[in-house]
Amino acid sequence: MQRRLFLKGCGTALAVSAVVPSMVIAQEAPKSANAMSYAAALEAITGGKPVTASNKVELKAPEIAENGAVVPIKVSVESPMTDKDYVKAIHVLAKKNFNARCANVFLTPANGKALFGTRIKLGGTQDVVAVVEMSDGSFISASQNVKVTIGGCG
Amino acid sequence: MAERKSLLKIKPKKYKTGDVVKLDFMVMHPMETGVRKDKKTGQIVPADYITEVKFLFNDQLVTKMIIWEALSTNPLFTTNFKVPGPGVMKVIFTDNKGTVTEKSKKIKPKG
Repeated sequence: MQRRLFLKGCGTALAVSAVVPSMVIAQEAPKSANAMSYAAALEAITGGKPVTASNKVELKAPEIAENGAVVPIKVSVESPMTDKDYVKAIHVLAKKNFNARCANVFLTPANGKALFGTRIKLGGTQDVVAVVEMSDGSFISASQNVKVTIGGCG
Repeated sequence: MAERKSLLKIKPKKYKTGDVVKLDFMVMHPMETGVRKDKKTGQIVPADYITEVKFLFNDQLVTKMIIWEALSTNPLFTTNFKVPGPGVMKVIFTDNKGTVTEKSKKIKPKG
């Protein structure tokens, strides 16, 4: 085990020395203009209103994702979806991605059932959070931890 | 910019007026984040991702999605739709370069 660790260390050291020029470029490169932390993204969505965890929101995501580049998620919300009582929006957030926002979905009563499914990229093991805005202005949420074996950001 | 290939599926295939169907919309799109580096050249790959997807039924908004770069390559969007009668389901999506693409499919409920 010791020897293996040592060899691994050597390998990384070599790799680092080999790619130093390209690393300099990477440091100079501007970060994405959309970068936003989870707290800021949540604040932007709710406007400071409290968010309560609810079992009305069902977030389906794999517990262990082998490939972070493709993580299927599905959010469904229990709601009658009538003109008076419907799901206004479903927001999907990934806590540790450089841009925590994944998707903001605005629904209408014409949807019949509140459902949103997609595939997202995750940079590493983290929580995926679904924040749901109801038509009366309240916010409910559900979250799930997803273990990522290989990150999906480059 | 070449036109993006897209596919709109309605599940199940046979439905009646008043049924809730599932709409699956797939786009062939690279969804570049703008921070990834090309392994061969070491250059940053410029950002290229979808920013907005709209589902319209007979020109009335059903679902609007604001999308960020965190979505996977060749993204899939799933949503539900309650069929009020025959019409046309149109999907319009916009990417960060301003390219707008449309895809429409006829909704033909049986019975």
